Amino acid sequence: MAQQGEKLLACIHCGLCLEACPTYVITGDENDGPRGRLYLMRAVAEGRLENTSDAFRTHIDRCLGCRACEQVCPAGVEYGQLLEASREELSRAQPKSDFTDKVLRFVLKHVWLSRTRLRLFFGSARVFRDLGLPRFLLKTGLARLFSQRAHFALALLENSRTIFHTSGKSVPSASQTDGQSPPVLLFAGCVGGGLFARVNRATERVLFANGFKVSAPEDQVCCGALHAHAGDLDGARELARKNIAAFKSGEPIVTNAGGCGAMLASYGHLLANDASVAEAAAQFSSRVRDVSQQLQTVEAEAAPLNKKARSVPDTTNGRCVTYDTSCHLLYGQHAGDASQQMLSAVVGPNFVPLEGSERCCGAAGIYNMLQPEMSGRVLQEKLDHVRETKAQILATGNPGCQMQIGAGAQLAGIKLQVCHPIELIDEAYAQAGVYGDGE
Amino acid sequence: MDQLTDKLIDNLGAIVGRENVLSKADELLVYECDGLPHHKHRPRAVVFPSSTEETSAIMRELARAKVSFTPRGAGTGLSGGALALDSGVVIEFARMRKILRIDVENRLAVVQPGVVNLHVSRAVLPYDLYYVPDPSSQPSCTIGGNIAESAGGIHCLKYGTTTDHVLGCRVVLAGGEIVDLSAEYNGYDLLGTYVGSEGTFGITTEATLRLSQVPPAVRTLLAEFAEVDDASHAVSAIIAAGVMPAALEMMDREIIRAVEASVFAAGLPPDAGAALLIELDGIEAGLDDEARKVTGICMEYGARNCRLARDETERKKLWAARKGAFGAIGRISPDSMIQDAVVPRSRLPEVLHAAYDIAARHQLRIANVFHAGDGNLHPLICFDSRSADQVRRVKEAGRELMEVCVAAGGTITGEHGVGLDKRDLLPLVFSEADMNAMLSVRAAFDPLGLCNPGKIIPMLRGCGEARAISAETNAVPLATKLQSAVPPPDSIEELSEIVKRAAAQGLTITPAGGRTLLNTNPATNLIVEMSRFNKIIEHEPADLIAVAQAGVPLTTFNQKLAENGQWLPLDPPDNGHATLGGIIATGLGGPQQFGYGRPRGSVIGMTVVLADGSIVKAGGRVVKNVAGYDLCKLFTGSYGTLGIITELIFKLRPRPAREATVVANGSIPELLAAARGVLDARLFPVGVELLSSSLASRIGIEVDSAALLIRFAGNEKGVAYQVEQALLHLKNASIEETGVASDDSWIWQNLAAVPVREAPSFATHVLPTKLADTSLDSHSLWQVGVADGRVRTFKHVQPNTSLDPLSQRVKHNLDPLNLFRGHDYEHAA
Ligand SMILES: Cc1cc2nc3c(=O)[nH]c(=O)nc-3n(C[C@H](O)[C@H](O)[C@H](O)COP(=O)(O)OP(=O)(O)OC[C@H]3O[C@@H](n4cnc5c(N)ncnc54)[C@H](O)[C@@H]3O)c2cc1C
Ligand code: SF4
Ligand code: SF4
Repeated sequence: MAQQGEKLLACIHCGLCLEACPTYVITGDENDGPRGRLYLMRAVAEGRLENTSDAFRTHIDRCLGCRACEQVCPAGVEYGQLLEASREELSRAQPKSDFTDKVLRFVLKHVWLSRTRLRLFFGSARVFRDLGLPRFLLKTGLARLFSQRAHFALALLENSRTIFHTSGKSVPSASQTDGQSPPVLLFAGCVGGGLFARVNRATERVLFANGFKVSAPEDQVCCGALHAHAGDLDGARELARKNIAAFKSGEPIVTNAGGCGAMLASYGHLLANDASVAEAAAQFSSRVRDVSQQLQTVEAEAAPLNKKARSVPDTTNGRCVTYDTSCHLLYGQHAGDASQQMLSAVVGPNFVPLEGSERCCGAAGIYNMLQPEMSGRVLQEKLDHVRETKAQILATGNPGCQMQIGAGAQLAGIKLQVCHPIELIDEAYAQAGVYGDGE
Repeated sequence: MDQLTDKLIDNLGAIVGRENVLSKADELLVYECDGLPHHKHRPRAVVFPSSTEETSAIMRELARAKVSFTPRGAGTGLSGGALALDSGVVIEFARMRKILRIDVENRLAVVQPGVVNLHVSRAVLPYDLYYVPDPSSQPSCTIGGNIAESAGGIHCLKYGTTTDHVLGCRVVLAGGEIVDLSAEYNGYDLLGTYVGSEGTFGITTEATLRLSQVPPAVRTLLAEFAEVDDASHAVSAIIAAGVMPAALEMMDREIIRAVEASVFAAGLPPDAGAALLIELDGIEAGLDDEARKVTGICMEYGARNCRLARDETERKKLWAARKGAFGAIGRISPDSMIQDAVVPRSRLPEVLHAAYDIAARHQLRIANVFHAGDGNLHPLICFDSRSADQVRRVKEAGRELMEVCVAAGGTITGEHGVGLDKRDLLPLVFSEADMNAMLSVRAAFDPLGLCNPGKIIPMLRGCGEARAISAETNAVPLATKLQSAVPPPDSIEELSEIVKRAAAQGLTITPAGGRTLLNTNPATNLIVEMSRFNKIIEHEPADLIAVAQAGVPLTTFNQKLAENGQWLPLDPPDNGHATLGGIIATGLGGPQQFGYGRPRGSVIGMTVVLADGSIVKAGGRVVKNVAGYDLCKLFTGSYGTLGIITELIFKLRPRPAREATVVANGSIPELLAAARGVLDARLFPVGVELLSSSLASRIGIEVDSAALLIRFAGNEKGVAYQVEQALLHLKNASIEETGVASDDSWIWQNLAAVPVREAPSFATHVLPTKLADTSLDSHSLWQVGVADGRVRTFKHVQPNTSLDPLSQRVKHNLDPLNLFRGHDYEHAA
């Protein structure tokens, strides 16, 4: 914390960030707002507060890490980085020893850092999901017999399913593109590769249709966001180094998960003090972009669904679509506009804006599992707004948000299908015949 | 934690639920400061009430335990106001954030105190309404905090500050008593006195806010200057030229650079010495002419460039940049001290020079971003709080700056309040007698002294009680006895002497102005004529203010102001003889109060002789001023029962280039409905008055059952357009008989004289939408303000002289011997 002195001083205590913060709005407690959390951090840094203090632990733990506060801060306080430093400080000063935390740490260390074990983990989750077991448990109400947390977890898993048919389509291989196509590298992500493989495939198809040569480096690993959130910065650094090596060719790195994108974009900061990779890390971060940002580089004329080529089919069958901006996409990657623009190209008049779309849904990595109560209250607000839109489809650019909102809606009895915006584009391309065979 | 605290926490927990009380030292840390973090006082506990009743129970418990408390909203205050000194308890309103009711037709909203300022406007925007006060902290500051500070904002140049937009407050006093303060109350203006009391009078638990129509058209101009000096001269020139911008803001070079490096970058010119942001609003017609006029003035005063914001996006960006400016300083300096002072607009150039000089002398960096139109400076001094030497220099520079502002005729705070930070600077602007009067009023609201103690006023020797006793004992035995009539006093000292003698002889006093509405209480022994207080002391057109003695007739005053194209826009009952003192003492507005506000909004300063003969000043001579309590509001409308007003300082308005009145003849329900239609059509009449046919005939207008008068004022095109629209509306409402008086001043002068000629009359207030249910017939005399719900009828009503308990305490503390008699509240409204 102490090394963060200068960064902490940037906060002038103006309070302009308060209302941007979902947890402050809910509790009204200064300790649960960005300004209060920064004050606690500064107090720890200056030795006015012990790093073993309960207040420090409780209120830093309750932070969603959504970084909405950063966006509105006139003084440019780098809250996200300070939060990471605080979590690291906490993990040292107050190692947790409850069951959840032990499991979490075990998993992060022994599963996430190993490619094979991670594959196995998500593979079995996928099999479990695709067999329809969570759906069965949820429908019959059996799921409620487990703890509330497990009940919600099953709903999350269930909501990682697809809502489209296109998802089974084959992906054109890189060799099909010509030599002129600009190459891009796809970052698959652990959850993305595990439960949302179809989103990765849709991303590849859409990029391909837009004239990019897509490849996904074999040796890539998890982005490390979960580790960083849990205060395990060393774990995060280890993963970061692996990814930097895996993506060493200089091409753009395309992500489709806001959470991963934001983490990758912060490698430069994460490894700034490691002289051996600092430069490579900064260079890596500068190459990261959301798929929507990558698509923005395509000339309007060259887009597969430009006016001259083909008209946009109604992929949503007249159903209303709304869009929730994942916080990390918005605040971490500044891709909120690009993502919405991408979506509006295929949705048109059926689009209804979502009030509070820029606010966190409460998923926040695995926050929903660690702070179920606060996460539930944050989610509730999101669901209230979703209900107001009367939309039947909600698109959002981050798997965690997709599962969270989907699960919340399901348990609250709202009829809502949740997908990634790229899936809607992909579906539109397929129906318009962009992929050649029309449907 | 000691036992007392333990027990207290338990009891508070029993009221609000234990989870709504914070009491662990570590969790209290963040409550040790507000938006001005260099003052730090950790409270003993923080309680989160959820209702008025809970708040009252909390305050009862705290009174029982004799523990002081401080209300807190979002903690964005910049004067250390929300800190609990001496381990008091913080009562936090962040969880009371419900908008309780929106009444679109009557244009008001009822909200809990923790509602965020911006959320009010956001909630009513679908109805083309908004809540006017817009402090730069509006995305997070609360209504409770705004009312406590009488917060200003960028748009208060034209529309006034919080005090002009609050219609009522539910307030819990120390000890738990719940009182409702209302702008329509027929007694002392306790609401006006309460607003701006910085949490030292009581706690707001519910507020009724005035909503206003969103102006249909806006122009935002950005003028770049090479020098701050030129920009500040241009500011005065714009105001003196009769333009009333909605906002007029200045940013200097340092600020522009800081903003451009922040998330609020808006493309401001980084090489300019200063930039003015000028916003004009109103109806579309004629607005471009005004914009051209302003551009012309800026160019004449040396602007390098002056252009309109390209579109709504750029306009929003420019304002976001302005509002984010203070925060952006965090980028260029580890700490910054934001100052808040007001100077007469015409003195801006020299004061700004002095500010830069002071900073240079103390080797400090200074940046300026401020409400130039109001003369409200916000110098930001950059420093590093880790250096004790710098901290010392900042404090010294801050004090010197305040001294310069006060010497220029200004004040020490225009909107951030005195709080803890400037408590010890208050004697720069107020004498001990002035502060004693304030303390007497404070003691009436908070006799227990538990309400946010240690703020605003440095500890003086006495409270209200002590002062009253001194009045008794200091009275000198007199050689000559006063008779029932004394020769009109000539000076304030003479008046003070008369008051002292009267007190000593046990005589009671009623001051008399033009005797237009004087309704002498039979219990009065002595009538003091104010006729010799008849001097107009000063009129400064560039500052839009004038100073005059209480005996000056309004007509004389306005004739003088007209020489420079300005006026005091009041139309109280007046047959041409009403004096300024009388008008303010009665506080009565008239038909055009809808457009121009009531007298309470025009008085910015006054001198008063109190019952003990002391001469006190309230307010000051700048248009924006929150130093100390707003006693001007208390004396306005007090019918001479609290003191004798001798001198007044007014804020003025430019005379409109054009005025015209639409007159319509129809049935009462038809005209009422048509008038509402006009009001909802986004037109901006200054008065919408419905008269019975018999009253209309007294002013020379012959109609069948009632006459509707709609007056418009402004520039040529704007008035022409609005008259045309109003006629169209009347036609659509099937009101056939209409006319337009383009030379219309006789109508309004005659109308103002009616209540004087036809006395007695009295006025009440109802919600405008309830007017249709009021029984009105065409034969009797009455007049109705359709827009503001004012109903004046002409009949004798037994005066109701009983005061509510809080007003009684105020009266008792200021005039314990009940020297000033003769109040007749029945005329009020
Ligand atoms: C970046 C920034 C810009 C600002 N710009 C402006 C500006 O343009 N104009 C302006 O006027 N001010 C401005 N301010 C100052 C501040 O925002 C205002 O004073 C605001 O009104 C404070 O509201 P709050 O809810 O934060 O109150 P707090 O800071 O919590 O409290 C302020 C005072 O109000 C009292 N109080 C709070 N709630 C209640 C209640 N319910 N009942 C009674 N008393 C109560 C407190 O005791 C305290 O004395 C600015 C501040 C910042 C940080
Ligand atoms: S984080 Fe930024 S917005 Fe929040 S209080 Fe600090 S400076 Fe102000
Ligand atoms: S990251 Fe999100 S939850 Fe955390 S302080 Fe900022 S706004 Fe609040």
